[in-house]
Amino acid sequence: MTSSTPSSASPPSQVVYEAANLKREFDDGKVQALRGVDFSILAGEFVAITGPSGCGKTTLLQILGALIKPSSGSLLYRGNSLADLPDPSEYRAREIGFIFQSFHLLPTYTTLENVQMPMFEMGWSASERRDRAAELLKSVGLGHRLDQFPAKLSGGERQRVAIARSLANGCSVLLADEPTGNLDSENAERVMELLVNLHTDKHMTLVLITHDQGIAGTASRTLRMKDGRVLSDSALTTTLAAS
Amino acid sequence: MTFLTVVARGLIRRPVRTGLTLLGISIGIAAVVALVGISRGFESSWASGMKARGTDVVVSNLSSALTPKPFEDKVRERITPLPHVAATCTILVDLMGIESSSMMFVSAREWGGFSWENLKLTAGRMPKDAMEPVVILGRTAAEVLSKKIGDPIQIETRELTVAGIIDGGAIVEDGSVILSLPLLQEITGNQGKINIIDVRVTPGTTEAEVKTLCQEINKVVPEGKAMPAGDNIGNSQAYKFIRAMSWGTSLLAVLVGVLGVMNTMLMTVFERTQEICILLALGWKRSRIVRLILWESALLGFSGGVVGVIIGGIGVKLLEHTPAIRGLLEADLSPQLMLMSVLISLVVGVISGLYPAWRSSRLPPGQALHG
Repeated sequence: MTSSTPSSASPPSQVVYEAANLKREFDDGKVQALRGVDFSILAGEFVAITGPSGCGKTTLLQILGALIKPSSGSLLYRGNSLADLPDPSEYRAREIGFIFQSFHLLPTYTTLENVQMPMFEMGWSASERRDRAAELLKSVGLGHRLDQFPAKLSGGERQRVAIARSLANGCSVLLADEPTGNLDSENAERVMELLVNLHTDKHMTLVLITHDQGIAGTASRTLRMKDGRVLSDSALTTTLAAS
Repeated sequence: MTFLTVVARGLIRRPVRTGLTLLGISIGIAAVVALVGISRGFESSWASGMKARGTDVVVSNLSSALTPKPFEDKVRERITPLPHVAATCTILVDLMGIESSSMMFVSAREWGGFSWENLKLTAGRMPKDAMEPVVILGRTAAEVLSKKIGDPIQIETRELTVAGIIDGGAIVEDGSVILSLPLLQEITGNQGKINIIDVRVTPGTTEAEVKTLCQEINKVVPEGKAMPAGDNIGNSQAYKFIRAMSWGTSLLAVLVGVLGVMNTMLMTVFERTQEICILLALGWKRSRIVRLILWESALLGFSGGVVGVIIGGIGVKLLEHTPAIRGLLEADLSPQLMLMSVLISLVVGVISGLYPAWRSSRLPPGQALHG
């Protein structure tokens, strides 16, 4: 961990993300993707973000991943503003892992090499990178596919490689953009099982975008979005119901 | 997997395009090797020819042509009394079409002069006197003209006979037709004219004294310019022009290579936009992306340089053996030239990658979540 990124060594109850009046505009304000979003996510939570296409889910995930900056409002990661990070790549390299809907494996590299990609910024030796990648691929049940190129893998296998890759940097937060969107139900179930196990066994914070209500149902909390706003937050509903 | 593996894989994934770009830059570098090698070779061939003739100082007027401008042979009388001058030998050199060869050195030497001394006969004999209608051929010239002892040889309107074949000890000598000075003066209508005076200095003369002698000669012989034998050709206007042309043509070829590499690397960046965005999303720093593109273009440049040196070297060797060129030059394919060519190519690769690398560093990582 460098001084530019906040520490991830924190108790499970700690707030990981805290968003206040988060807005994001495109095309000089013609498109308002986020119109003032407020929420907080605790360490170890499994949050599903749902909503119709164009509601701002992906924009929100991009902001959480420091891929883009919000137009206004604030987003704190473990108490530090993501917008003020001097080097967002440091945060992406060490704090979070990305899982994409289309897997986004690099076609000219083997599964073992794909998983090593995020490790280049970690300062590890080539053999350390290789050993860790092999270990991660074994943990997702692909120990026998180390030297295969992505084109030779099924959709489910590709997404499992992508999950192994997202864990390569030893992150504590996983950001997943419709990870089962391109999979059949059997593979989708297997991938979700893997993600849920990571959440429960390793206490990873998991933020997942999905259209699938069934998958959203496996999350400990659901944020429903519409027109750039959070329409409902199951955590709040539960709290209100309890009170 | 190391970072270099990632770099190499980036190039290997598009073998045809990488191959064609390599070819483009290789041709540019081959041009550098060939043209600069030939022009340097011409200089060193000339210098070794002087050495083979036993010359220390050359007096000539190499102003604007490949062969020196003629002047009166009486000029020699002003040189012989100068200090450190041991001997002089007047020469008339020309580049002439001889029978099947379109261009060949014809070197006519003062009968009895010292420049005949180092010619080693491999067959036949030397001329019997100054006006005997015979020539001596360098061994390469004999091969190019397919002549043997006793064969007739046509020089301008005169038919002479091949009396001997020599090993001249230098490419210029080996590729020359050698005859006595009065004979060529008569054939070409240049009676009393020469274009070179070879000067041999007394034993023990220092380099500084040779330079002083050159200055002395320059004072008394305004018709020509005296120079230490090794410097002579390098200072001629014609040679300077050839050298400039060689570099100019080479640089143009290299520029084409630069554009080729730049185009390829830009295409690479455009095609790999999503891949680069994914790498950024996975935490790669922009500086690493810049390094990736620069390393790829540098590797392309380096490989192109190595291939170019090989193509250039082979090309020059083939050229040296073509009948039109054979015996006229020996390209200087020194390790220094090869190394310099590869270095140029490497620099070209890096320079060509700068703009694409900058473009790649501007890509928004958020694009990774689209598509």
